[in-house]
Amino acid sequence: MALLLGLLAPFQLFNTHVLRVGRGIAVVCMGLMVVIILTQVFFRYVLNDALNWPDEAARFLMLWMTGLIAPTAFRRGGFVSIDMFLRMLPRAMGALVSLALLCTSLLVLVVAMKLGMNHVNSGCLFNSATLRVPFTLHLAFPVPFTDLSATICTKDDYAFSFEWGWTRLKLAHMYASIYVGIILLTIVNIELILRSFISLSGQSDRLPLLTTDVPAGAE
Amino acid sequence: MLIWFLPVFLVFLLIGFPVVFGLVFAPGILLYLNGQERDIALLYRNVYTGMDSFPLMAIPFFMLAGELMNRGGITMRLVEFSQALMGHLRGGLAHVNILSSMLFAGLSGSAVADTSALGSMLIPAMEKQGYTRRFAAAITAASSVIGPIIPPSGIMIIYAYVMGESVAALFLAGIVPGVLVGVGLMLMVKVMADKYDFPVASAKTTWGERGQASLRAFFPLMTPVIILGGILGGVFTPTEAAAVAAAYALIIGLFVLKTLKLREIPDVLMRASMTSAIVLLLVGAAMAFKTVVSLSHAPEQLAAAILGLSDNPLILLFLINILLFIVGMFLDAGPAIIILGPILGPIFTSMGVDPVHFAIIMSVNLTVGLATPPMGLVLFVASSVSGERVETIARAILPFLAVEVLVIFLITYVPAISMTIPRLAGFVN
Repeated sequence: MALLLGLLAPFQLFNTHVLRVGRGIAVVCMGLMVVIILTQVFFRYVLNDALNWPDEAARFLMLWMTGLIAPTAFRRGGFVSIDMFLRMLPRAMGALVSLALLCTSLLVLVVAMKLGMNHVNSGCLFNSATLRVPFTLHLAFPVPFTDLSATICTKDDYAFSFEWGWTRLKLAHMYASIYVGIILLTIVNIELILRSFISLSGQSDRLPLLTTDVPAGAE
Repeated sequence: MLIWFLPVFLVFLLIGFPVVFGLVFAPGILLYLNGQERDIALLYRNVYTGMDSFPLMAIPFFMLAGELMNRGGITMRLVEFSQALMGHLRGGLAHVNILSSMLFAGLSGSAVADTSALGSMLIPAMEKQGYTRRFAAAITAASSVIGPIIPPSGIMIIYAYVMGESVAALFLAGIVPGVLVGVGLMLMVKVMADKYDFPVASAKTTWGERGQASLRAFFPLMTPVIILGGILGGVFTPTEAAAVAAAYALIIGLFVLKTLKLREIPDVLMRASMTSAIVLLLVGAAMAFKTVVSLSHAPEQLAAAILGLSDNPLILLFLINILLFIVGMFLDAGPAIIILGPILGPIFTSMGVDPVHFAIIMSVNLTVGLATPPMGLVLFVASSVSGERVETIARAILPFLAVEVLVIFLITYVPAISMTIPRLAGFVN
């Protein structure tokens, strides 16, 4: 049990703090989306000068908003599911089925992580049609405990630098939004699996409570 | 073999697997077993491209507008306006509840927001006037389903995007059905008010008082005019109209009604972002699911099976009404549309049912499902707002559900109810 609680602690710490930062960035993205679209309307109707970049900029922000806040929704139990069957089962059986479903979710996420990396890399070949940024970011860092390197559009194993000068944004930076979201969802999923194991062993009272405040969907 | 992903998906859905994962897991596993591993990468790309869409951005903006209106004291103005118009009738507060829902529907398009905003205000007020708590909760829940039917509507944006229909056409097609549900509920309240001697809420107001109430509610009531007027006048796209609605709600809340505080805005943005992220991921997964639906030829095979039951579209629409009603009992409207739209839509449009008409049949049917036991979302919200048990509200809501089912049949068999306005506006031939 101490081992499971010890394993859970770093995941919990990571998710508590990193997801808080994610929520903060998502809030900024949402606010900026509104401002950008209103700017688009203003330029088109008041100044009679249609801008070409707001559409893509707002989509960029929407994707990052989704990638960064969806893991919080998952952690709070906000992903839609039919839980009637689980509630009908005896408590222990229900917990076991829940655990099995979480493990299946992990399988989905791990496959998505593998596919996501290829997707992001494919985005290095294409530039955004309208979005320009004042710098190029070279980012590559080794993934702990593996021989992998997390890179965005660079062949180096380790890099972290800015190159100043206006350039068109690589689509990889847009594609990375969902990839980052999947990585964060995976970490949340592992935390939920560990919590599920601890609950199954009858020690749920030793688990810190998670917030379950999730607003309803499109309904 | 690929068609087996549908039953696999259904099994996973029923045992409680999150819909968003199920939408990619079931087709993914079948593609893998079918030796089509390269198509699994396509599945991932389709999730991304499904979300990377400008029209879809209307969802976060309408969510934000709804959240801002909930916090901005706009609900109170709508209730006061409704009371000035209908408070003097027998069963006045029940009528006020329904009319407020119809007006609220023109602002937010969310049944849940309607139940929680109007319920927290009107259920205690109705109790104080002598209505039972279960009746007050039931009428609040029943009338809240008008929210996603009268435009703007989150689920219609989802349907339009997933099925490639015009958002404006669906918005227009929802107006009369939404009003019809409201009028039907009011008629039922009138029958019950006469039978059970419900109280009147207030003395009959003068035209001057009504004018004052209208003025106080003027800014909130202008929201649907801005949204629909902007879209139909060609000034905004639906996405831009949604952003304008959000900004308008912010300005009203902060500067006109002064009921919204600056410090509340980050929380409003966070709640809207979180709801949107859940829906956007679902839509992305649905677009990937839709690709495999097409690859598997499932609609053709299902169409053949359905046509085997009967070749009369009226009978088939009746069966679909029953199917959607049952689905609505267990699944929320958004996910149900995402899952069933790509499967059922092509079948009925190939039988000559107009896509916009089918969209409305499906949306209204599934929206009414939000108020049906055992899993109706608004029943749970009404229960938490009122403190009444879900089972008790579920029994009290039955007469109102009967009215809504009747309206569903009217909408299904009289296409003119939903099709006249979009046809007059030139959105449908």
